[in-house]
Amino acid sequence: MSVIEVSHLKKSFGENDVLHDISFSVESGDVISVIGSSGSGKSTMLRCINLLETPTGGSILFHGEEINKKGFPLTEYRSKVIMVFQSFNLFNNMSVLKNCTVGVQKVLKLSKTEAEERAEKYLSKVGMSAYKNAKPRQLSGGQKQRVAIARALCMEPEVILFDEPTSALDPEMVGEVLSVMKSLAAEGLTMIVVTHEMAFARDVSNKVIFMDGGYIEEEGAPEKIFGSPEKHRTQEFLARYFAQ
Amino acid sequence: MGFFDWVVRIFSEYWRLFLEGTGYTVLMALVGTVAGFLIGLIIAVIRTVPADKEKSPVKWGIMKVVNFILSVYVEVIRGTPMMVQALIIHYSWFAKIGMPALLSAIIIISVNTGAYMAEIVRGGIISIDKGQVEGAQSIGMSHVQTMSLVVIPQAIRNIMPSIGNEFVVNIKDSSVLSVISITELMFMSKSAGGTYFQFVPAYVICAVIYFILTFTVTRILRLVEKKMDGDDSYVICGSQTDFRSQINAKKEDA
Repeated sequence: MSVIEVSHLKKSFGENDVLHDISFSVESGDVISVIGSSGSGKSTMLRCINLLETPTGGSILFHGEEINKKGFPLTEYRSKVIMVFQSFNLFNNMSVLKNCTVGVQKVLKLSKTEAEERAEKYLSKVGMSAYKNAKPRQLSGGQKQRVAIARALCMEPEVILFDEPTSALDPEMVGEVLSVMKSLAAEGLTMIVVTHEMAFARDVSNKVIFMDGGYIEEEGAPEKIFGSPEKHRTQEFLARYFAQ
Repeated sequence: MGFFDWVVRIFSEYWRLFLEGTGYTVLMALVGTVAGFLIGLIIAVIRTVPADKEKSPVKWGIMKVVNFILSVYVEVIRGTPMMVQALIIHYSWFAKIGMPALLSAIIIISVNTGAYMAEIVRGGIISIDKGQVEGAQSIGMSHVQTMSLVVIPQAIRNIMPSIGNEFVVNIKDSSVLSVISITELMFMSKSAGGTYFQFVPAYVICAVIYFILTFTVTRILRLVEKKMDGDDSYVICGSQTDFRSQINAKKEDA
């Protein structure tokens, strides 16, 4: 069974239809890159999967269970399918260490010692151990994003949803965040990555989804999407990218 | 006898009255501000409880009623003078059930401050970036956890200057509670001045004491804010070039 099964997902904000008919599935260990121009609905789709936005139609199944229904254990689900944001969204009132432990203690209900062990483990994985007592405002963008990734890893989730994790960073910082993400992918973590980093999509993911105007225009293996895209719109989008 | 001589004479003869009055003033302002802050916090948090009309209609209905009652409270209390509230509530209700005037006064000043604080805290909550809420929700925190662990602590930091304002206002405006015969600073000054029919020197002493109180409170709160903010730069754990890392290492051992 797929970990996540999205079928005929629709989302509109009032009169404005953002997602028309989105269907795809996520298997365990998948690294799926979602590409496409701004406004094509990529982030909205990701936010629907985390239920930060309520879908207006279609279904999203997590291990076969519909997530958008009354009585669904929403907070438990979110602790398994975690979102990493473009603007990091670290808790500004907490230290780096506390950012990582708070969810483990309060949501997963583990002890302080266990939470801190996890935090140390994952902070060192993203290379941020030395900053564990720092406050978010004392960090650079790339450092913040690495802490945000550590915070997500501390919950030991099944899936991490990355919403343009490198879009707010300068090229050097993009490198440090992407290398962390690459190592996670290599370890078999299931990820959906909304990104404008075409090299990452091509080299790291095993499936690429190209979205346009609220539809999935084309999806497939990265070799296919980047090597021989079938649809005219995909060719146009990629041509513009690689022309730079 | 000159004006200054009167000031000295009144103060040296009646300093006990001034001291006692100052005590009542500080007591009412302090308790009123703290209790008012708690009232405001509770109201503001209740107002943020999410209720979906379609998913949970009963909860939505209850929230509508509760919110209506809360806005009536805020509007009525903010829209009428505290002196008038004190006269009406104390003489028509509290005094009749035998409540001491000081307790009446503290309740009135708390309820009054609460109405202002509700709006101040609401403003503080609005000022927090939506990303903070989403960050908390995205790792599975409930509404209560999101508010108590992430939003409220940051909101309180942001509204510290306004809380300080309310405190200063309470120190001064508690003077109107002399109408229900609280022997606070203003009341005592009037008594002290009355013995020699020298009111202005007594009121000058009174003004100086008020100023010392408000100025001290402002300074203390500024220090608290600084303490809350912490340092702007960060010392890497175990850094060998920065002497402050020693301090950090020691803190961790403790």
